Amino acid sequence: MKLQYRKAKQARDMLAISPTTNRVLNVLMVVLCLLTLAPFYVIIIASVTSEAALIENGYRLWPEEFSLNAYTYLFRPGSIILTAYVNTIISTVAGTILTVVMVALYAYPLSRRRFRFSGFFTFYAFFTMLFGGGLVAYYMVMRQILQIQNTMWALFLPSAFSPFWVFVMRTYYKTQIPEEIIESARIDGASEWRTLTQIVMPLSVPGLATVALFSAIGIWNNFFNVLLLIDKVELYNLQYTIYSTLNNIRFLLENASQMQGVVSLAELPTQTFRMAMAVVTIGPIVLAYPFFQRYFIRGLTIGAIKG
Amino acid sequence: MFKKDSVVTKKPVFKKKKRWTADAIYSHISYLTMVLPGAIWLLLFAYLPMPGIIMAFKDYRLQRPPADFWIQNSFIYSLIKSPWVGLENFRYLILPTNLRNTVIFVRNTVLYNLLFMVVGLVLSIALAVVIYELTNRFWAKLYHSIFFLPFFISWVVVAYVVYAMANHAGIINTFLTSMGMAPLEIYKQKAYWPFIFLIANIWKYTGNGSIIYLALITGVDRQLYEAAAMDGASKWKQFVYITLPELIPTIVLLQILAVGRIFVSDFDMFYTLPAGSVFIREVTTTIDVYVFNMLRSTSPIGYAAAAGFVQSVVGFVLILVANTVVRKTKPEMALF
Repeated sequence: MKLQYRKAKQARDMLAISPTTNRVLNVLMVVLCLLTLAPFYVIIIASVTSEAALIENGYRLWPEEFSLNAYTYLFRPGSIILTAYVNTIISTVAGTILTVVMVALYAYPLSRRRFRFSGFFTFYAFFTMLFGGGLVAYYMVMRQILQIQNTMWALFLPSAFSPFWVFVMRTYYKTQIPEEIIESARIDGASEWRTLTQIVMPLSVPGLATVALFSAIGIWNNFFNVLLLIDKVELYNLQYTIYSTLNNIRFLLENASQMQGVVSLAELPTQTFRMAMAVVTIGPIVLAYPFFQRYFIRGLTIGAIKG
Repeated sequence: MFKKDSVVTKKPVFKKKKRWTADAIYSHISYLTMVLPGAIWLLLFAYLPMPGIIMAFKDYRLQRPPADFWIQNSFIYSLIKSPWVGLENFRYLILPTNLRNTVIFVRNTVLYNLLFMVVGLVLSIALAVVIYELTNRFWAKLYHSIFFLPFFISWVVVAYVVYAMANHAGIINTFLTSMGMAPLEIYKQKAYWPFIFLIANIWKYTGNGSIIYLALITGVDRQLYEAAAMDGASKWKQFVYITLPELIPTIVLLQILAVGRIFVSDFDMFYTLPAGSVFIREVTTTIDVYVFNMLRSTSPIGYAAAAGFVQSVVGFVLILVANTVVRKTKPEMALF
């Protein structure tokens, strides 16, 4: 990332856009950035507004009455959000480690010219990017053959590997790890495994961090596999928990007239509570971003450009 | 390195037939053990479902395997024993009563995909160019980081945001009523939804999509621009004649992959954003949502399988066609 920006700087003098254009573009960018951030702002502000103020005044740019009630209610002992949090964290950590390890291991031999089966295993992974058995077959295999429904495995195992990232890492190894280093390790008597784990992988941290970040986002935000494979509330992850909450509320509100007496609208999770749920769902993954950022654009761009 | 090595080791006898000999496996054993975990994952999660595609041509009924059957798995047994029905399941999709729905779902999937492809491509490149041209690097970097942020947000949370803004007591309606205007019933009006999907899609993916183009633009030799500028080429001309040709191989590569997924929609988005509202089904249901709903309904599983079959096979054929066309015209840009 740094390199890109620095290169741009060197050539600035001659090719730079005029100060006026620059100013106009900056204004445009600031406006677009504010629009991009607006949804975050809306839910964060709504989540720290007191319920009464929200009902009375609607959504405001700044909370009329500041309140953290929604969060204390959210994290009360025995809350479903806590269970969902634990499930999400366990599956994200396990899934990310598994993905990084499997991708790093699968990609390395493919990057080596000495590996005779490289063609076969490249095709073996590539073919799955082009063709799949379809949802119905996938559903049946998961439920009837692998039988991972209603287990923790369903939360991360189906997304714990990715041919796409294999090819990104293969290019990364090929272009970023000098052949001489690997050869000299071999001459010094290091086994292939040792070369990979002690020399190649430490040199590939930006690439591996990129895989880790994207895989963590994918598993943290996993919704589809939970929808498909989990029926037990105690195994729901965050995304599915907040999805079912939103769905229930919408259903109850729309049918409120027919259901009077069955459920009282006052007992529904309040608006602030729902917004707080959305905030705690995105919180940790967004907080992880700065830690990965220094690596990931470099990792992504080196690996993804056809080399 | 000289070619000598390869001449010595690669005798024609070795070339194809004897690849999987015990000898070869033994000498590559450490590489093979590295590949093994991923290979097993692919076998279980990608290859194992593939034979299930024949369900599209069968009247699949769940049956219990008899005790002496070679494999005691009711899915595999039922898959083998269910009768072949030819194209019967496909006929269901085009029955007069279902034809309209089928057409609508296919149309939604294809049109949304084309829309997202074109708009996404243009905006990603435009953003990359602007970020690159800005003279204040610190701010450029900050903008880019902000545009990337929505990529972290799941569609479920986006559905929350849309709901908070668009429900009958949401932000938009609060604003409209305070201005003395009539509130909008967004969850009941079809016309709004293509725009909601488009905006949501742009919001979530543009920052991420521009990363690769930014990297490519940065890699362009500066001297080309300098020469062009000296000859009096405008920024636009520089973009068309220098930048764009550098981007085209990657654009083509990404579009070939996108063409293969033209019948596959972003299920999470189309499923969660409408929050199950029945009034707008005609513009929010795509093939994936349709297949999923059929899978969950009581209708025979073969119908869902038939719709899924079209999705997989047509996508696969399209990607082969697109790649062949590209290979015929510009071999160096082909995917394979």
